[in-house]
Amino acid sequence: MSEDILFDFLHAEIVNYCLHDNNKENDFSALEYIGFNTGYRLIERLTRDAPRFKDELETMKFICTDFWTLIYKKQVDNLRTNNHGMYVVQDKAFRFLTRISTGAKQLEHAPKFVFFTCGLVRGALTNLGINSTVTAEVQTIPACKFHIEINRN
Amino acid sequence: MSRQASRFDSKKVNAEFLTLTYGALVTQMLRDFENVEDVNKQLERIGYNMGMRLIEDFLARTSAPRCLEMRETADRIQQAFRIYLNVQPTISNWSASSDEFSLVFETNPLTEFVELPQDLTNLRYSSILSGCIRGALEMVQLDVQCWFVQDQLKGDNVTELRIKFVRRLEDAIPAGED
Amino acid sequence: MTIYHLYIFDKLGTMMYYAEWNRTKKSGVSREEEAKLTYGMLFSIKSFVSKISPHDPREGFLFYKTNRYALHYMETPSGLKFVLYTDTAALNVKELLQQLYSKIWVEYVVRDPLWSPGTPVTSELFQTKLDEFIKQSALYSIRNI
Repeated sequence: MSEDILFDFLHAEIVNYCLHDNNKENDFSALEYIGFNTGYRLIERLTRDAPRFKDELETMKFICTDFWTLIYKKQVDNLRTNNHGMYVVQDKAFRFLTRISTGAKQLEHAPKFVFFTCGLVRGALTNLGINSTVTAEVQTIPACKFHIEINRN
Repeated sequence: MSRQASRFDSKKVNAEFLTLTYGALVTQMLRDFENVEDVNKQLERIGYNMGMRLIEDFLARTSAPRCLEMRETADRIQQAFRIYLNVQPTISNWSASSDEFSLVFETNPLTEFVELPQDLTNLRYSSILSGCIRGALEMVQLDVQCWFVQDQLKGDNVTELRIKFVRRLEDAIPAGED
Repeated sequence: MTIYHLYIFDKLGTMMYYAEWNRTKKSGVSREEEAKLTYGMLFSIKSFVSKISPHDPREGFLFYKTNRYALHYMETPSGLKFVLYTDTAALNVKELLQQLYSKIWVEYVVRDPLWSPGTPVTSELFQTKLDEFIKQSALYSIRNI
């Protein structure tokens, strides 16, 4: 728990640094990149002694269940796929939104708190050989849906 | 459901998650600023902001009363490192007047996967720590200076953080009183 | 036992939050004025109490009681001041305030990334959690006379 609070504060400061300090209110690229970089390296450490995943579905399951639980302290509430490379992860109490009020004004700020995670997931998948696009939507705080689209060339 | 989950030591993963995220932030800042000194300042400022919040969690968690002297403060800072970063720095090198001491780290969790390239020798990679201490202590009315004396990233055997008491900040007096 | 109202001030005396439950009488001055007067009074009591104390006042001023109500005071080392008005029968208020600090203030104010330190609290989430916390406490029950 004590490390969690430290991380949450760091995350909040990273958000401020990337968006406000550089006057880039709507440019989430730096935030996404910090997440990407973290995810890429973290997954390397987590999987280096593990057998390779047998296919995309197994990789996705690993990221959306084990990896998610380790980082976000809870299991995702729902994981769905259309079997055509589109995965939707639903978290009804997303870690970085649980201390924020549910109002309309707060909802405007919600995107700030999901982009690091979009990058984190994309980075982890990239390292495991899957090229993807990750987006998130917040309709009601603290719930969040992440859409992971596998880019097949 | 998962054959993998039990393999992971979640405490270790979380520590690495923090370390790597911090590393990614430093990397981003090095892209944003040409001058390394600016990166040091930004990291220090981020630490300062974190310290201002972290102190409240620490006080609530430990029910610690206000410190009456620097030796107590040193013990609390040591305790905070144990709680939040799972490391225990040694308190040493007290000045004769007991207003200045060092925290000596055998290992620094923030730099576990880091090697500084030659051109970044001016980077004070762990500035977040000094900022954090400064921010936290300012909230309990202690104005301190905090700087690195030794740094394992620069080839020293240990990482040494020096903390110097400057002054006790006064409590605010309400308007109309004196 | 019952709880009337609560003030939270920061170390600079800024009113961070005010809430009331079973308060039936207003003071007749504005909320801001009342807060200022309350803070000023506490400041004076605090310095007076520590000045005239026959022992080293480690804990300082904790509460005062009139024949109709009691005022309980908790100050953190960071200068946050929790001021709770209760009836005269209220017990263990110190523990309640300590809990309020760690379980509600730290959780829903300090950890709210949209709150900036030193600014008054407007979070509805905090308001809801505080209200639940107070209403679930043993101290809270409306007294019928």
